[in-house]
Amino acid sequence: MQAGTESMRRPGTTLAALALGLLAMAGPSHAQLRLDITQGVRDAVPIAVVPFGGQTDGTATDVAQVIADDLRLSGRFAPLERRDMVARPTSGPEIRFQDWRLLKSDFIVVGRVEPDGAGSAVAFELFNVQTGQALLAQRLPVGSRGLRAASHRIADLIFERLTGIPGAFSTRIAYVTVEGRPPSQRYRLVVADADGFNPRTVTQSSEPIMSPAWSPDGESLAYVSFESKLSAIYLQRLASGERRRVSARSGINGAPAFSPDGRRLAITLSRDGNLDIYTLELATQTLTRVTSDDAIDTEPEWSKDGRSLYFTSDRAGNAQVYQVALDEARQAQRVTFTNGYNARPRLSPDGNELAMVTLDRGGYRIGVLDLKTRNLRVLTNARQDESPSFAPNGATVIYATKDRARGALAMVSSDGRFQQRLSSDQGDVREPVWSPFPAR
Amino acid sequence: MPGFVREHLRPLMGSAGLHLLLLVLVAGAALRWTSTQPPVQLAIEGVVVDAKDLPKSARAGKPVPPPKVTPPPEIPKPRPEPEPKTEPAPPSPDVKAAEEVQAADAERRRVADEAARKEAAADAERKHAAVADARRKQEEQDKAAREAKLRSERESELQRQLAAEEEAAAVARSGVVDEYRAVLIQAIERNWIRPPSARAGLECTLFVTQATGGTVIDVKLGTCNGDQAVRESIANAVYRASPLPAPRDPRAFERRLQIVFKPTE
Repeated sequence: MQAGTESMRRPGTTLAALALGLLAMAGPSHAQLRLDITQGVRDAVPIAVVPFGGQTDGTATDVAQVIADDLRLSGRFAPLERRDMVARPTSGPEIRFQDWRLLKSDFIVVGRVEPDGAGSAVAFELFNVQTGQALLAQRLPVGSRGLRAASHRIADLIFERLTGIPGAFSTRIAYVTVEGRPPSQRYRLVVADADGFNPRTVTQSSEPIMSPAWSPDGESLAYVSFESKLSAIYLQRLASGERRRVSARSGINGAPAFSPDGRRLAITLSRDGNLDIYTLELATQTLTRVTSDDAIDTEPEWSKDGRSLYFTSDRAGNAQVYQVALDEARQAQRVTFTNGYNARPRLSPDGNELAMVTLDRGGYRIGVLDLKTRNLRVLTNARQDESPSFAPNGATVIYATKDRARGALAMVSSDGRFQQRLSSDQGDVREPVWSPFPAR
Repeated sequence: MPGFVREHLRPLMGSAGLHLLLLVLVAGAALRWTSTQPPVQLAIEGVVVDAKDLPKSARAGKPVPPPKVTPPPEIPKPRPEPEPKTEPAPPSPDVKAAEEVQAADAERRRVADEAARKEAAADAERKHAAVADARRKQEEQDKAAREAKLRSERESELQRQLAAEEEAAAVARSGVVDEYRAVLIQAIERNWIRPPSARAGLECTLFVTQATGGTVIDVKLGTCNGDQAVRESIANAVYRASPLPAPRDPRAFERRLQIVFKPTE
């Protein structure tokens, strides 16, 4: 009888415990609705960059405007229009987050220009509007390069904080402009801020200027000039304007590209009959032939480790990209197979991708080839896009396109999601190349 | 004679006592042999029962051991041994007759007393047993009642839970929950600005609490293999979607949401 009671009680207790346990386990998952999110929108992130305090209207540089334009140009952000701003806070405590939430801004930037000793400084703060969390707060002294440079620097910091990618707004671009009509044309090699401001002419000529290339330290440009009627490759220091001719061999001297260590140039020469790739030791003028094919080999680009070159060749009948190792064998391997035309390879900063011009569904467009997967993705959709060049953060590719028969500059995010046309009043614009990060 | 008696009172008494004791012992032994009825008597003063044994032996045969009530329910094995130390001197022959008379008297009284005592003891025992029995029964009843109550409470809790589940299942069957889930997903997907780093392979979980009106009141990040941009984008997607849409059937409303961001490409 006693044993009976025991054995009846035990299962009872066990059952009850089990039931309670099940309730405890089933409770949370049951009282919770699970949602699987597999899609998102490709919109730019809304951000409010409020006009900075300490700036009177009509000041030459509108800090908030420079920052907002930078962020907009990246394609990743959609700055709020000023006319929609309900308040003009200039510091964190002045922000009423619910106002900005209603305006559907995810982030807000506030700040002010303050006296700093003899000069001035810019203080700014970045907040998440939804949570009110402070994400960034810094004070930058305005240096010799002025308020505009400081503003770009702030945009860099904001971009990096919100995307995890360093901003490239403080970098520069070089490009060639052509004005006038033949026979009286003016060619200019121009260096400007990455947003197109502050254009400065590096050199100019009535004869063609082509193929600018940045030195790895960002202090020099190599380019091709026909100023002596024949093509020659020049090297010019930007700060001093000092320049020297590094190659003026018979025939074509073209398409210079700096090795990663900056000590050599890969160039294209026709001195041995047809166009082939060579390397040129800058200090010693030692020339080394890399390719010797009957076809046209041109547009060399260095691999990240400096041990091989990518280049364009029509040896298979049409233009394709090849890679050749700088060793004894110098055996070239074809890299592109996807489209009938692939040319002008340019390496991404991480060395994993090549941007190039590709013939895609009847148009010359900018494509990016993943060197590991060999997958080519087309980023643009115009008919005559050319000369791609990666931003030093790899997030954007700048390229030349045609705008009503005139050359214009455009940018596309390296995933192809955002495209921007750069307005220009400088005539025909060609061959943009993005600078490396400045040495800080 | 009286002088003699007076003079030898103590030895006489001792002798008589000894005889009496012997007699009683013999009688007792005879009783034990002849009767299965346990002698519960006599030994009252001399019996030493091991306290530890008692509850054990009691427990052995009874369903419920009430430890406080310890009636001697069974024979605790009395051991009325004669006391050899107090052995008196052997009585002299001339007092033997008187002794025998006295002893006979004493014996008669003893037997009578004993019978009475036996009766009383048995009576007390019966009463004790009855009380203990009643108490035990009461406790058993109480315990049974408590268990029954607990069982019925558990059962009703289970019933309640089952009913709630039944209700939830009914709501789920009606498609309202699926519909609610769909509108929530749509609202959040529309507000999730996917950063480029949010690629296939990403998996981030948010635990979201909403108020009755759909206002998001808490967002907690669970496991997430995404970068900072991803983390900020998914939390902001939920905040941007606030207030979250309400279900068509209010019964489908769920305060707590587990949102898993798992882009397919």
